[in-house]
Amino acid sequence: MLVSVFRGKFALVLKLIFLAATSAILGLLAQHALAQGEFAIAIFLIFAILSINFVYLTSKSIPLKFFLPGLLFLLAFVVGPILYTLAMSGFQYQTGNILSKPEAIEQLIKTGVAQDPDQTIFDVTIGKNKAGEISILYLNTTTNVYAISTEKTRTIEPASGVKMNDFDVPSSSPNFTALTTDELGSLDASIPKLKFFYDGEYYLGLEGFQAASLYKQAIRYDEAKDQFVDLATGDIYKDNGRGNFANVNNKEQFLGSVGWRAPIWFEHYTKLFTEKRLRAPFISVFLWTISFAGLSVLTTFALGLLLALALNKAIRGRRIYRSILILPYAMPSVMSILIWGGMFDTEFGAINNLLGTHIAWFQNAAFARAAVILVNLWLGFPYFYLVASGALQAIPSELSEAAAIDGASPRQIFNKITLPLLLKILSPLLIASFAYNFNNFNLIYLLTGGGPIAQLDGDIAGGTDILISYTYKIAFNEGNSDLGLASAISVIIFLLVASISLYGLKKSKVLEDFA
Amino acid sequence: MKKRLSVVSFAAAAAVALAGFAAVPAHAAGGEIVIWADGQRGPNLQKLMSQKNDWVAGYSFKIVSYSSFDALKAAFDNATEKSGPDIILAANDWVPTAAKAGKLAPVTLTPKVKEQFTAGQLFDLSYKGKLYGLPVDVNNVGMIYNAKLVKSAPKSFGDMVDYYLANKASLKAGLCVAGGGMSWGALGVSTALGAYPYKIKDDGSVDSADPMNATTVAANVSKYLLTSDGKSNGFFPATDTGCKDNFIAGKVPFAIIGNWEWKDYLAKGFAMNLSPVPGTASGTYAPSFGSVSGALLTTYAAKHGVEAGAKTALFNIFGSRTGARMYQKIEGRPAASKDGASFSPTAGQKGFAKVAGITSLPQIGAILNGDKTSYWDALPSFWTAVLVDGKAPATEAAKLAAIYKANLAKGISDL
Amino acid sequence: MKKWLRNNLWRHALAISVALFSLFPLYLVVISSFNPTGSLNLTSFIPREISFANYTLLFHDPRIPYLTWMKNSLIIAGAVAVLSVVIGAASAFAFSRLRFKGKVSGLKLLLLVQMFPAILAISAVYVIMERVQTFAPGIGLGSKPGLLLVYLGGAMGVNIWLLKGFVDTIPAELDEAAKVDGASPMQIYWLIFIPLATPVLSVVMLLSFIGTFNEFILARLFLVDMPDRTIAVGLQSFIGGQYAANWGPFAAGSIIASVPIVAIFLSLQKYIVNGLTAGSVKG
Repeated sequence: MLVSVFRGKFALVLKLIFLAATSAILGLLAQHALAQGEFAIAIFLIFAILSINFVYLTSKSIPLKFFLPGLLFLLAFVVGPILYTLAMSGFQYQTGNILSKPEAIEQLIKTGVAQDPDQTIFDVTIGKNKAGEISILYLNTTTNVYAISTEKTRTIEPASGVKMNDFDVPSSSPNFTALTTDELGSLDASIPKLKFFYDGEYYLGLEGFQAASLYKQAIRYDEAKDQFVDLATGDIYKDNGRGNFANVNNKEQFLGSVGWRAPIWFEHYTKLFTEKRLRAPFISVFLWTISFAGLSVLTTFALGLLLALALNKAIRGRRIYRSILILPYAMPSVMSILIWGGMFDTEFGAINNLLGTHIAWFQNAAFARAAVILVNLWLGFPYFYLVASGALQAIPSELSEAAAIDGASPRQIFNKITLPLLLKILSPLLIASFAYNFNNFNLIYLLTGGGPIAQLDGDIAGGTDILISYTYKIAFNEGNSDLGLASAISVIIFLLVASISLYGLKKSKVLEDFA
Repeated sequence: MKKRLSVVSFAAAAAVALAGFAAVPAHAAGGEIVIWADGQRGPNLQKLMSQKNDWVAGYSFKIVSYSSFDALKAAFDNATEKSGPDIILAANDWVPTAAKAGKLAPVTLTPKVKEQFTAGQLFDLSYKGKLYGLPVDVNNVGMIYNAKLVKSAPKSFGDMVDYYLANKASLKAGLCVAGGGMSWGALGVSTALGAYPYKIKDDGSVDSADPMNATTVAANVSKYLLTSDGKSNGFFPATDTGCKDNFIAGKVPFAIIGNWEWKDYLAKGFAMNLSPVPGTASGTYAPSFGSVSGALLTTYAAKHGVEAGAKTALFNIFGSRTGARMYQKIEGRPAASKDGASFSPTAGQKGFAKVAGITSLPQIGAILNGDKTSYWDALPSFWTAVLVDGKAPATEAAKLAAIYKANLAKGISDL
Repeated sequence: MKKWLRNNLWRHALAISVALFSLFPLYLVVISSFNPTGSLNLTSFIPREISFANYTLLFHDPRIPYLTWMKNSLIIAGAVAVLSVVIGAASAFAFSRLRFKGKVSGLKLLLLVQMFPAILAISAVYVIMERVQTFAPGIGLGSKPGLLLVYLGGAMGVNIWLLKGFVDTIPAELDEAAKVDGASPMQIYWLIFIPLATPVLSVVMLLSFIGTFNEFILARLFLVDMPDRTIAVGLQSFIGGQYAANWGPFAAGSIIASVPIVAIFLSLQKYIVNGLTAGSVKG
């Protein structure tokens, strides 16, 4: 009876309506994306529309009907960013080298101006002259005459005809009509770029709508040679291939304050292994990441298993114990981590209070590491308690009964039968837990922030920094962020985690099940 | 097959038909100036905008408030042409980084606006000779003393230590940092002991000589902060946690507090007994940071076609008498502009202005942010090393001095 | 009696001590939430005064849109949970039950892709959503639907992988039988598989809900306006930052936010445990 829903006219119409609506929405978005010049996104959306219609209107591939939506999401939000990260890792992409090259050149030209020595600035009104050209009316305070400047000309305006506004700024004259605020607003895209004629050497550049100051160009860009010339000194600045224009006579001297992201291919990867400044922290962070993830799995699993064994018998109050023991797992972890952070406080923290100590937990690497492991134990043991309990029940009791009949002690039974079986059952989860903790960003970031850092010794990584928090720090560091290097480390982390997991899965023979 | 084809064409037709209904979306509403700010200033700015709607005739404003300064910074770092603000209310030490990222656009001030600010304030918001915005409010710290415990202001650093050691039993610490953290807020303690990140000459320029003598600093640390066996004597805690609570509870006689939080202390019944941190010699004072927060113009403004409007907004809101006073009244921090500051200051604002008047060090991002290790990271590490880990002050001070020296050299070349 | 002691005493001792360990931080939060001075200060284990000031603050201070934060979190996490399972289950079904060319390499690719830590792609995702914002502000940067899309997309790999593990544990005999009877894959999916898988899917939904509810970094970066924040970001702002250490309201807010989640978790614990173990216990 229900089967009819999946066959026949009604089903077809329903499907068509759904498809048409989806196509329409995506089409609309694609159209808007095109209008805004977002071609990559538009192409993806069009691809999505075509593939959706093709897959659901033909019967070429049944499996695709099931995983197309998931696949599209994966492409957009996982595969796309991975490729983007991969690309970023090949660029000099850091503070000072963020823009694209054309943007950087534009910015250099725009800021490559010099004010006159007196730093002259006039109050101006923007308007149109008799000929309808955009111009400014101002009192030249150095010569005390009124003038109208357009881009090409400057004419003196007799003082008699000039009217002043409430702020004593000339606002109109026989040859000049001020623009209304609406007109000004609509011209805002072009007005700031205008250069009004002053004396040939200097021009008047607008500072907002009410003032203009004297500028001259201080550097010149030679497009054919792709180089800048400093007009005052004659120095030449050439593209140094690493995202800056450098003085040809002094390679260390860059032009202006901006550079661009330039391709440097695999330099970040090689630098990580050849430069001691980068290699040493990378290796120590890597080692701690492994120990942190390993210890976390070990402690949470050990405590979880112990509890599972203890409560694997109908003792009194088992349900209550169980409910209490899984509370840490049920509680939103962001909040519990922050609370633990407060508990480890040196002055007020409950931990010091309870122990009667005065330990600066997060200022000492060893203590901070212990704290991180302890908090992770609190967060993680209920999970292993739950899965180990489940696994214990899944182990056929005949095995241990048979062994008991054969005279094995409970300890022997556990060591020889229960534990190996448990490990076999739980190994994928142990590996998954290791991979999870390997990238347990929230815990480190919210608890210690990766600290403490021995800054005096020039360290850039903190005592509890794991690779992912270290990378985050490099990417979003105050003052010195290096997205290129961070991306390269991201790629390495990805490869590491992937190989650990693949190795683990191979061991546990999950991959064989694929076929 | 025929049926299939008809189906495809139906879907395609429907898609196009539906898509046709919606016009291509308009660009951002004409003449809207977007301002980003932190969670404290943003809502205040919003209020300012609602009190007067013609700051720049023909333009509307959109204020975006971030949960914290960190979040604001992260978003600004990530911003591109599409999402970036036209104006951002930022800390002055962001200027070099943001200018290097090509995110800031220079402004030139008219004499009328310029005379509202001191040269130092404008210098704070400049990088490589270009000014990138207008100062908004002043941030500084002062040392407050609990008049119930100590009768009068201490004359020297040693006075405070002596008081603490004599009354150690009833106290948790002698001097702690309640506002500004262990690098920004604690500068006064550091300079009192001789650890300057840089010095300013009388003419206002940066002194290129070595700013810090490691031997003197190590000797002072040992003398004032450590016991004879090299452990902290408890006078100065290495972290800022709990400072405020303990000061209010009368467990700490001296605390460094920020000018943005003095209201809390007034509310608890404390008078604004403020001074800079006293120096080691009687009657001298140690400088702490006096910095400004600025309203900075971004390069996105030009790309959004509102650059002239945004610049005018900067002048009209933060560079005018009306704007400075109205904002000042809402925000309650000491205003940067002279007109704003002279407008009916409160006891707290007067106190902090006096502290800044006695001695302060301009905050120069190009030097402080450093090359490899920044001042911001180095000073807290120094406190931890000598006060918590009990490392030898001589070695640690030498490391600190080396970092300051390198940062100064790099900063001067970058200014 | 002696035998009981030997057999059961250690069980009770262990359970009680670990239970205390579990409860300790939670107990602290509770007493802090009733502490009007707003610090997470443990002066005594028994609260000296009980004040509801922190709770009142959450609901009556116009600067703290607590209920809106809560609503945002519930809506976003709820939508992510439902949608990710709806989309993910279909993919998982295909990977688990259907035969097609390239399945093995597809699975390997999926396995690889889902290992890429989402946090590392933060800049890339930011740029993408920023571009989306220019032509569709409703689903771009700074919008709740935008964040939802990012969560949904970012977790898709992991979700499909996780769901595939669960789906593998559901016996295939029934759909094999249906296939013999001539049912199409669609029919098998909707009429046989979905009813069978509902308990497992609900568990994944719940786990996904909790995971999203907990997410912090992306939410902090993406949703900036005060009333748009999620509960995790909103609460963190009480104690994060240099100028704030308001443990009282933070504690009160955490308790209110946690109660529904903990309640759901405890009431559904049987299913959750089954779900958690399902992935592993196939041996």
